[in-house]
Amino acid sequence: MEIEAASGSQVGGGGGGRGTYLVWEDLTVVLPNFRNGPTKRLLNGLSGYAEPGRIMAIMGPSGSGKSTLLDSLAGRLSRNVVMTGNILFNGSKKRLDYGSVAYVTQEDVLLGTLTVRETIKYSAQLRLPTSMSKEEVNGIVEATIMEMGLLDCADRLIGNWHLRGISGGEKKRLSIALEILTRPCLLFLDEPTSGLDSASAFFVIQALRNVARDGRTVISSIHQPSSEVFALFDDLFLLSGGETVYFGEAKMAVEFFAEAGVPCPSRRNPSDHFLRCVNSDFDKVTATLKGSQRMRDVPNSADPLLNLATAEIKAMLVEKYRRSKYASRTKAKIREISAIEGHAIESKGGSQANWLKQLSTLIRRSSVNMSRDVGYYWLRIMIYIVVSICVGTIYFDVGNTYTAIFARGACGAFITGFMTFMSIGGFPSFIEEMKIFYKERLNGHYGVAVFILSNFISSFPFLVAITLSTGTITFYMVKFRKEFSHYVYFCLIIFTSISVIESLMMVVASLVPNFLMGIITGAGIIGILMMTSGFFRLLPDLPKPFWRYPISFLSYGSWAIQGSYKNDLLGLEFDPLVPGDPKLNGEFIITNMFGIKLSHSKWWDLAAIIAILVLYRVLFFIILKFKERALPLFRTFYAKKTLQQLDKRPSFRKMPSFPSKRHEVPHSLSSQEGLSSPLP
Amino acid sequence: MGYGEKENTRSSAANNTMMEIEASKPAGNGLVPTGLSPLSETLWREKTDLEFVGDVSARLTWKDLTVMVTLSNGEPQNVLEGLTGYAEPGTFTALMGPSGSGKSTLLDALSSRLAANAFLSGAILINGRKRKLSFGTAAYVTQDDNLIGTLTVRETISYSARLRLPDKMPWSEKRALIESTIIEMGLQDCADTVIGNWHLRGISGGEKRRVSIALEILMRPRLLFLDEPTSGLDSASAFFVTQTLRGLSRDGRTVIASIHQPSSEVFELFDQLYLLSGGKTVYFGQASEAYEFFAQAGFPCPALRNPSDHFLRCINSDFDKVKATLKGSMKLRFEASDDPLEKMTTAEAIRTLIDYYRTSQYCYTAREKVEEISKVKGTVLDSGGSQASFLMQSFTLTKRSFVNMSRDFGYYWLRLVIYIVVTICIGTIYLNVGTSYTSILARGSCASFVFGFVTFMSIGGFPSFVEDMKVFQRERLNGHYGVTSFVISNTLSAMPFLILITFLAGTICYFMVRLHPGFEHYIFFVLCLYASVTVVESLMMAIASVVPNFLMGIIIGAGIQGIFMLVSGYFRLPNDIPKPVWRYPMSYISFHFWALQGQYQNDLRGLLFDSQTPGFKIPGEYILEKIFQIDVHRSKWIDLSVIFSMIVVYRIIFLIMIKINEDVTPWVRGYVARRRMQQKNVSQNKTVAPDGLTQSPSLRAYVATGTSKR
Repeated sequence: MEIEAASGSQVGGGGGGRGTYLVWEDLTVVLPNFRNGPTKRLLNGLSGYAEPGRIMAIMGPSGSGKSTLLDSLAGRLSRNVVMTGNILFNGSKKRLDYGSVAYVTQEDVLLGTLTVRETIKYSAQLRLPTSMSKEEVNGIVEATIMEMGLLDCADRLIGNWHLRGISGGEKKRLSIALEILTRPCLLFLDEPTSGLDSASAFFVIQALRNVARDGRTVISSIHQPSSEVFALFDDLFLLSGGETVYFGEAKMAVEFFAEAGVPCPSRRNPSDHFLRCVNSDFDKVTATLKGSQRMRDVPNSADPLLNLATAEIKAMLVEKYRRSKYASRTKAKIREISAIEGHAIESKGGSQANWLKQLSTLIRRSSVNMSRDVGYYWLRIMIYIVVSICVGTIYFDVGNTYTAIFARGACGAFITGFMTFMSIGGFPSFIEEMKIFYKERLNGHYGVAVFILSNFISSFPFLVAITLSTGTITFYMVKFRKEFSHYVYFCLIIFTSISVIESLMMVVASLVPNFLMGIITGAGIIGILMMTSGFFRLLPDLPKPFWRYPISFLSYGSWAIQGSYKNDLLGLEFDPLVPGDPKLNGEFIITNMFGIKLSHSKWWDLAAIIAILVLYRVLFFIILKFKERALPLFRTFYAKKTLQQLDKRPSFRKMPSFPSKRHEVPHSLSSQEGLSSPLP
Repeated sequence: MGYGEKENTRSSAANNTMMEIEASKPAGNGLVPTGLSPLSETLWREKTDLEFVGDVSARLTWKDLTVMVTLSNGEPQNVLEGLTGYAEPGTFTALMGPSGSGKSTLLDALSSRLAANAFLSGAILINGRKRKLSFGTAAYVTQDDNLIGTLTVRETISYSARLRLPDKMPWSEKRALIESTIIEMGLQDCADTVIGNWHLRGISGGEKRRVSIALEILMRPRLLFLDEPTSGLDSASAFFVTQTLRGLSRDGRTVIASIHQPSSEVFELFDQLYLLSGGKTVYFGQASEAYEFFAQAGFPCPALRNPSDHFLRCINSDFDKVKATLKGSMKLRFEASDDPLEKMTTAEAIRTLIDYYRTSQYCYTAREKVEEISKVKGTVLDSGGSQASFLMQSFTLTKRSFVNMSRDFGYYWLRLVIYIVVTICIGTIYLNVGTSYTSILARGSCASFVFGFVTFMSIGGFPSFVEDMKVFQRERLNGHYGVTSFVISNTLSAMPFLILITFLAGTICYFMVRLHPGFEHYIFFVLCLYASVTVVESLMMAIASVVPNFLMGIIIGAGIQGIFMLVSGYFRLPNDIPKPVWRYPMSYISFHFWALQGQYQNDLRGLLFDSQTPGFKIPGEYILEKIFQIDVHRSKWIDLSVIFSMIVVYRIIFLIMIKINEDVTPWVRGYVARRRMQQKNVSQNKTVAPDGLTQSPSLRAYVATGTSKR
């Protein structure tokens, strides 16, 4: 998976001239399921080829294996399925690594706060070789913008849940633009037109066609194209239930269907007709409609589709295709292409920039994002200021009376406890950024360490701003101490506490599946940390076994409270409970009333918080690395075991295909969590 | 569906479509048309008994319909311009057009759901009478399916039936109606499957859409409006939905749907087609004749094309932009074709088509037909809204809400688990707190932690509540029930869960920490916890009705609770809290304050604590008064009753907020828009008669901005 290391070739090498011929023969993909039940065949003996300069559509009803085929060709098959058969690039057999070819996913994962041009520019700087001059990079960026027709919206924001931005079609073209930046000779797209209206869909496919005409090989799965869109494709691979229904020139498909006895009526979109013929869902619809007596008004026309079940039509078409001239032509062509001794495809994925360049680019991008996203830090800074003013007025000029002892303690605890709690507010924005990270990491744009480092550095100024505003307001309104050094310490405690919470939330974000779970888990952990921090229950009174010994030492809160008490109270004198008694000094109060030992200085407390901070960051790094390395290994192991099983059982039962869950569109944050409220 | 209906079905199955449409056309005025299911006949006869028995089908005509909105700068803009058309019973009319062409506006105008700041002129007649459709008279199916995910299809429909069908209708009849609706919509296969939500896998998108339609046709409306019923569905599901709609129209209903990019099969199911572009009519007439019309106008549809794709291609001005951009990037490699659109821009094509239509026979026929239909004065159609009594509605809603809460893991069960975990944590930390000197403070902080942070976790149910609200809005919009029954049902159904949660959590906490012994003290503690949790719940509801989104709701909720906690008397002693803002209104508004006042008294009064000098005991009353500064003269039960009254206040606020959103906001918006336009007219000295513009009150306005499509 270390793609950074694998790269090193020149950019733009393979684009012009020869291009890439892609051939696949007898491709079968099996989803092992040996625990219970039979194995499922996702693809069944597919053969085909793709040539440079042409654009190919993979079509089929949902669940027919479109995405699986695309994934197997692009080398993105998840590791828990088993693939057999040959995939040849320019005549040589080579399995592509994850991320080594350009692949545009169905979901557009983009940072909503950047403009179109910025997005492309940052991506270029992340991936193009460091040796390239600024002018060259800019040239490529502008050319790509031009090529994808993004000139009109180049300086508009992409938009997120609270920012209105570019349209869906423009987003899709931007996603494509990011992929063609490094001039790959093979481009795969997963349903690029889903969710777009006809004009935008047309634009996207027209742009892809232009990309193809430049000598690149473009393969795209597509679901229900409109007539105009369908007319733009050169080749068509029609799938149903993992089997080839038709493969060949898109224009000839109409003829093939006519020859097979299911001609397309003249007032029909051919692609609608093809799907109608092979989509077995229609059988179910017809059956249900018949059951509810609704078929009475369907005209008894010459339409053969109404008299035959689609399952039968499909079986017939598959059989007809196998014997047709199209199939034999394909075979001949495959042999011909396989014979070509082309230069092997070079791995061009990943990044060719060095890590320093990556880091500086990421920091810049992340800073721009943070400063433009209101929800990331600005909103929080505002809330912090408001809450600080509330705290400041409530504890205004706290003084040295007896009751002030407790008030000072409570104030310190409220600031380090409750106020850090509000860091949760930035969680949604952080999750958005994590999505980008996962996608770019998958494509090998940069490493985990670079990401963590850049995130820390770019968030630094904002955390400092939060600290300074909160610290200054509360410290001087409450009038804790006069000395400046105490103010500095106070701010340092707040800063480290907030940073710890940030890191904690990052760890949580990398572990939980969704936003809501993240908030609940985060709040729970913070609650427990707060409870053991020594304010709600004095540290010596905490039950020893669990709460005192590991937990309170792991809790940043207990260190923060010890530090801030020491910072605040040492050296002060307070009025006694009963007037006339001797004054109480800070040391007495800390040791006797708050149960804190004075054996170490407040600076050690600060050091402990910093240690916890580092610990969380390292933990975050380890989790990301682990997820990346260990999970695929586990899956590979699982698949290998299946292969052994399959050897023992050469002809497994044939099973109908089922829709791949991997490509269910992950719901956007807003739709998933109901970010949009029911009321205005 | 009765026997006669089946007979009818069989005989007509043999005939072709034309015959079919002829058959289902009204045989004459005052006669019940054939093809009416017996159930709907009984239902309607009951309604129309008092007036006169007559034709219960709905004939809708609209003439010179213009809708105008005022932009933010006061500039008026016509969204629809001079549309004329009609919809007859037994036909399925499709409104088509590129995005932004006014499809939804036309649909809203016809169903009287226009936003308050839109002005309408022209005549919309139902059965020849000018009559505003009140909410729920005609069924309106919105684009998004807001359904309760934990109910099965049958349950969803049956609860809806109980909410709206008259109380006196026997249950057997209701059940027959429910079953027939399920069969009618082809939902029999998934009738007992749950609908599904974000953590529950349920029925497919197409099935959901059909459930939404089923809910609306339950009351057997004669007029059915649908906003993009096929959007987001694959071809087979879209076909299924459209086929069912066509089936519904064949029963003598008038069905009007806006449809975006139908596939070839779907397009073939349309009877009438209304093609719009930029708010103007491009074509209105039989869907099958549109092909001819485009050919006559000079834009013949090429072979092997979906006619609807071709129509939209001709009238979608976005294509101009696409072409311009492609040309601009010097990448245009359009292969030569005989497409007439290659030579002219779509803007020109649209102009040509609109002009052509205006002078064509189609336009003439349509106008004639409108005149003819509007002359016939038919039955006055009355409300199809809820006919169930208030009690029945509240009862059904409570039951439904209870079932939903008990099945939705995220609503209360998750919280129950969290509460138990948290209270066990608290219990172990303060285990057997005792009466030593340090336990004075420990008891205080234990109470404040329980009432502060534990109640805080009620926020966890917010997402589920937001989902509930969405369903409420849809049903409210369709007049299924009132706001009051919603609030009552929500309160009642949540009660058992809250009691369960607080009793379990309270008991664990009370007995582990060993707070003040005695049954009365235990009961007070638990009741106080229950009241606090319910207050938080009500507070979150009130917030949900004000804030724009979910995230803001959580942030604001947390902020308010944080401030309440700060002034509760624990973080700062009551007498030390600055008087002006924090002490006087704030701490008395804070429920934490009252909870702590009550609980401190409940816990400490009557106990003796060790002091720092051995042998000398401190009485609890002294601590209450001197250390915690509690008002010991007020009974703890009064404190508790204050919290309970807060629950009522917050619920009332919630009710008022919804009412304001529903009634006042649209009115204000409409008023502002009218004023703005009048000012404009005065300043430009134009004579647009404002009285000619009727303005319709609308609930839609308040949903449109929030949840519906942008």
